[in-house]
Amino acid sequence: MVTVKPVVIAFLFLVASNAGAVQLRFVTWRPQPPWLWDQAIADFETQHPGTKIIPEVGPHSSTEFHDLVAQKLKNSDAEMDVFFMDVIWPAEFAAAGWALPLNKFFPANEQRAFLEAPLLANTYQGQIYGVPVFIDAGMLYYRADLLEKYGLSPPSTWPELVRQAKFILAKEKDPHLTGLSAQFKQYEGLVCNMMEYVSGNGGALWDGQTLRATLHLAKAKEAVRFVRDRIVGEISHRGVLAYQEPESLALFTQGKAIFHRNWPYAWEVASDPKRSKVAGQTGVTRLPNFPGGKSVATLGGWQLAISRFSRKPELAWKFVSFMTSSEMQKRIALHAGRAPTRKELFSDQEILKKNPQFSSQIDTFMHAVPRPRTPVYIPLSNIMQRYFSSAIAIADSNIDQLADLASRDMDRMLDLLRGRNMP
Amino acid sequence: MSRDGRSALLFVLPSLVLVIIFSLYPVIESFRLSLYRLILTLPWLGQKFVGWENYGDLFTDPVALRSLVTTVVFVAVTASFEVALGLGMALVLNAAFRGRGLLRALVLIPWAVPTVVSSQMWRFIFNDRYGLFNYFLFGEQTYRYLAPLADPELALMSIMVADIWKTSSFAALIILAGLQTIPGELYEAAGVDGASTWQMFRHITLPLLRPALLLALLFRTIDAFRVFDLVFVMTQGGPADATNVLQFYGYKKSFAEGMIGYGSTISVVVFLLAVIFSVFYIRLLGARVLERTGRA
Repeated sequence: MVTVKPVVIAFLFLVASNAGAVQLRFVTWRPQPPWLWDQAIADFETQHPGTKIIPEVGPHSSTEFHDLVAQKLKNSDAEMDVFFMDVIWPAEFAAAGWALPLNKFFPANEQRAFLEAPLLANTYQGQIYGVPVFIDAGMLYYRADLLEKYGLSPPSTWPELVRQAKFILAKEKDPHLTGLSAQFKQYEGLVCNMMEYVSGNGGALWDGQTLRATLHLAKAKEAVRFVRDRIVGEISHRGVLAYQEPESLALFTQGKAIFHRNWPYAWEVASDPKRSKVAGQTGVTRLPNFPGGKSVATLGGWQLAISRFSRKPELAWKFVSFMTSSEMQKRIALHAGRAPTRKELFSDQEILKKNPQFSSQIDTFMHAVPRPRTPVYIPLSNIMQRYFSSAIAIADSNIDQLADLASRDMDRMLDLLRGRNMP
Repeated sequence: MSRDGRSALLFVLPSLVLVIIFSLYPVIESFRLSLYRLILTLPWLGQKFVGWENYGDLFTDPVALRSLVTTVVFVAVTASFEVALGLGMALVLNAAFRGRGLLRALVLIPWAVPTVVSSQMWRFIFNDRYGLFNYFLFGEQTYRYLAPLADPELALMSIMVADIWKTSSFAALIILAGLQTIPGELYEAAGVDGASTWQMFRHITLPLLRPALLLALLFRTIDAFRVFDLVFVMTQGGPADATNVLQFYGYKKSFAEGMIGYGSTISVVVFLLAVIFSVFYIRLLGARVLERTGRA
């Protein structure tokens, strides 16, 4: 009995302390830096006494995180109240009736404070389903010290990038140095990376207007061939074919990559001497384009959404509103290097001092190209991931044949949207 | 019905109910769903009965067919290696030596580690920059390091290695149990007759061990058909779809893409494949085991 008592008391105490608290379950990925997010949650709890936020941490990869969230929504899981949503999911979650329409909480006059592109991505058939927390766009990071050493300026075209990388690789003679570190693993990030080449060459993932597949067209294939033969074939080691963001960034911060494609947060990491061996020696600029084409940055970013099955939508909204407030976005920009979605913050002196690149990047953010909005985005993306990975991971892949196959599969999926026959 | 029969039924009933709820019902429900077109993200299309259409699509889907081949290769390679290695381990563990108990416990560790954890561990081992695999092969010559998980030809092999490492000890456990049922007198008699160790193994151990070997093979085959977690953690089906095993493909269809009908079709096919193999093994195995116990 003596040993049991403390346990019982502890248990009763736990029950008592939680009995009064209203719990809100927040499905998130492991945020960086963790203290920033812990503090945000603590602040919210202080402002709303009697509320307890229970974070549930999912996988880092967007693809895997989607499966987790979709699974909960599919099961009408009332446990999950607020969740992070990638910029490509709102249409799907809206069409399936999984995300709560937020117009009543988030009216048009409040929406005006936000950048247009991420808002549009959150809108489906006139309703808004998420509030953008931060915006992402593909950027080119480079080793300023190496470029300077050889009298080069940041490349403005992809072929120029390959030439510069080959030149530096030949001079440096470091077998560990790689030309371009990017996200070429078979997952959603691959689609983001490849879209920058395909659209940058005048192609498209598919035609959002006519709902027709376009990857089998010459411009798109040419871009894919370029990645296979010139990037993977000539300047990058094969390891990049298994890299997501963290691995590819680690290579860059270890000083083992000349060029690096990533989202804006990489700046914060690469410039921090504690986490980066190349702090102070890096530069960031817009992604290159193909000769005669324009530079394309894939629009990314994360939103907060509320589950349609949540029993506490009002409280959930308070949390979403807090996490996307001007003050929170500023904190996230200062300490996590994530670009805000509220327009006013791009002229905030404190933010610009810490992230000088934002002022020149606002243009990139304004013109970042979204992946087409559709409720069947995930199936289409899986087809594209398969195609892109097969095309670039095998040196003598039959790109014509693979592209035809991908387009055929995508057309069958797109046909569903026209209410035609289905596979 | 006799009183015995009735009370037998009464005793069996609880397990029967459990089997029906947790095994039979899901199988039947999956089969039913496989005859429908049901896409969660397009609710306005409704749930439409399409008969065998999903099956027709599956057998003309090049991704699924390739996935089937990948799965069969995975099953054939891992199951045979696991039983062969399991046999070796069981023979060692069956011998009398100091510390045998400890070794027996140690051998089971890989099997006791949750697959998700061991998959993560193997992902690190096969890392192209700091992986142990590369260190063993090339040591300090880091510029020669391979990226097994980025290479369509090595990725499947890497996953098979992880699986073999993990479950060989399970096969060993079953085979060890089989070894212990072989009476010691047989070896004594053979020793008196002047048989060599190899002859004893060949003419006593192996024939009497057949049921245990087949059982191990059966378990490993069925289990290997369901391989999922290794792929999920280590490669997500890539690169170039080289590790896209059927269960992972089905999972993607059902849970990521919300294509419940087509996803169920894949599950049903995996299930049927496992059933076919099981029946085949059980016939091989059952006939022998029943024969022997019948005579005893």
